Amino acid sequence: MSKEPQIVIRKAGRDEVDFILSDVELSLANSLRRIMIAEVPTLAIDLVEIQINTSVLADEFIAHRLGLIPLDSEDIDELKYTRDCTCEDHCPKCSVTLELKANCEIDETMNIYSSHFIITSGVGNNLKLGQPIIRDPMRKGILICKLKKHQQLHVKCIAKKGIAKEHAKWSPCSAIGFEYDPYNKLKHTDYWYEESVENEWPKSLNSDWEEPPIPGEKFNYNAKPDKFYINLETTGVLNPNEVFNKGCNELQQKLANVIFELKKLDQQSNTDDNSNINGMDSNINNTHNINQGDDYSNNMGRRTQYGGGGTQYGGGETQYGGGYTQYGGTTQYDDRNRPNRW
Amino acid sequence: MADTESKPVIAPTNDIEMNEVNNEENLELAVDTSKIQLLPGATSDGFAASFQIIDEDHTLGNALRYMIMKNEDVEFCGYSIPHPSENKLNIRIQTYGKMTAVEAFHKGLEDLSNLCSHVEEVFSTKVANKDYSTEEP
Repeated sequence: MSKEPQIVIRKAGRDEVDFILSDVELSLANSLRRIMIAEVPTLAIDLVEIQINTSVLADEFIAHRLGLIPLDSEDIDELKYTRDCTCEDHCPKCSVTLELKANCEIDETMNIYSSHFIITSGVGNNLKLGQPIIRDPMRKGILICKLKKHQQLHVKCIAKKGIAKEHAKWSPCSAIGFEYDPYNKLKHTDYWYEESVENEWPKSLNSDWEEPPIPGEKFNYNAKPDKFYINLETTGVLNPNEVFNKGCNELQQKLANVIFELKKLDQQSNTDDNSNINGMDSNINNTHNINQGDDYSNNMGRRTQYGGGGTQYGGGETQYGGGYTQYGGTTQYDDRNRPNRW
Repeated sequence: MADTESKPVIAPTNDIEMNEVNNEENLELAVDTSKIQLLPGATSDGFAASFQIIDEDHTLGNALRYMIMKNEDVEFCGYSIPHPSENKLNIRIQTYGKMTAVEAFHKGLEDLSNLCSHVEEVFSTKVANKDYSTEEP
C-alpha cells in the first residue's frame, strides 16, 4: 500500500464515534463495518423462564422483548460461549441470570422497566456484565410491559454471549453510517431525478470534506474510493471505540484461524505420501523455499501441497517453464467436476 | 483427520480421472469437517489453486481477495460464495510462478492481519490523544 491508513476522529461521545478512515480500500473498510455490526460478541437474554405471566402480553411476545434489551457487555471477554463451556446447560461462567418479579397491587397501571431486573448470578460482582443499559434521564430503562391491578410478571432470564450473525439482539451497533464519495464522482450510485440531480438531492454533510467536482471534468475511471465517513453508533452495551477495537481484533482472529487451518492442511498433505499427485516435478525438489523471509517457510519445513518429500511444487523461479502455460495446457478452467464457477 | 489411514482430501489434477477420484473420496468428503479444503482445479505445479473455506463470508472474502490481488506475483484472485444458504467461501488464486498459490494465500492473510492491526493502532492513538474536537473540514 502506497499510503498508510489514516483516521480522523470528528466526534466521540458516549454512544457514538464519528471518524474518517482514509487511504484504505473499500473492501477493508467494508469488512470492518460488517464485523462491527455482526461479529463483535455481546451479552443478551437468550432463554426466558416465565414463572408467572398474567399480563396482557403473550409469553413469547415478552420473551422477544426481553431478548432485545441491551445489557452491559464491557467485560464480555470474561464470559465463555455456552457451547465452549464444560457445564451441562449453563452456568455462571457462561451466562448471567437476571430475574424480575413484578406484582401490581395498586389501582393504576404499573410500568415494568428494564431497571427492575436483578442479577442473581453472574461471573463476578465487580464486572460490568449484564446490567441493563439505562439512558433515560429518569433512570428507568426500557419499558417492558404494563400491569393492571392483580396482574403479575415473574421471569427468570438467562443471558448468554453471542454474536449478531446469529441474532441481531447481539449487535453492539444500533447503526453504522458508512459513506464514501459524497459527490458521487465515482458513479457508484445512480440518483433518480426528475430534472436535475443537484436540485433534487440534498448534499451530504460529508461533502464539505471533499473537493467538489469541476464542471465538465472528465470521468476518472482509475479513481478508487479512499475516504470513508464512518459514524459508529452503539446500543450502549460497549463503548464505541471498543466496538472498533474489538471489530479489528475479531477480523484478525478470523485471519489467524484461517492461517492456522491452512498450515494444518499443508502439513496434512505433507505427511501423507499418497498425496503425490505432482508427478512431473519431483526432480526439482531442491528448489528451496522461494519466500524465505516468510514465517511459515521456516517453521513449516516441508510444506508441499501436492508433492511428496520436500517438493516445492517444482518450478521455483521458472516463470512459465515445464509445460505450464498461463491459459492453456495445464491450467484448468474446464473442470467438469468443479462444483462452482468463479 | 484423526484416522491415520484415511487420506486427506486432495485435489484431483488433470492426470487423474475426475470421476474415479470422486467415487473414492465421496465418503471422506461427507465427513470432512476441516475449515479449509483444496478444491479441484489446482495445477500440478501449485501456482494456481482453489480453496474452500467453511464458515466465512464476504467479511473475510472480499478483503482477502483484495489483499491477495495486491501481491504483485499474483495473476488472479477471485472469491465466490456459491450459494447464499451454504456457509462456504471459495477462493481461487493464480500466480505468475514466483510463489505458489498457498504462499500467496498465506501472504495475503498475513498482510491483511498486519493492515488491520495498523488501523486499530492508528484509531487507538487518535482516541487516546483526544484530538478529535478540533477537526474541521
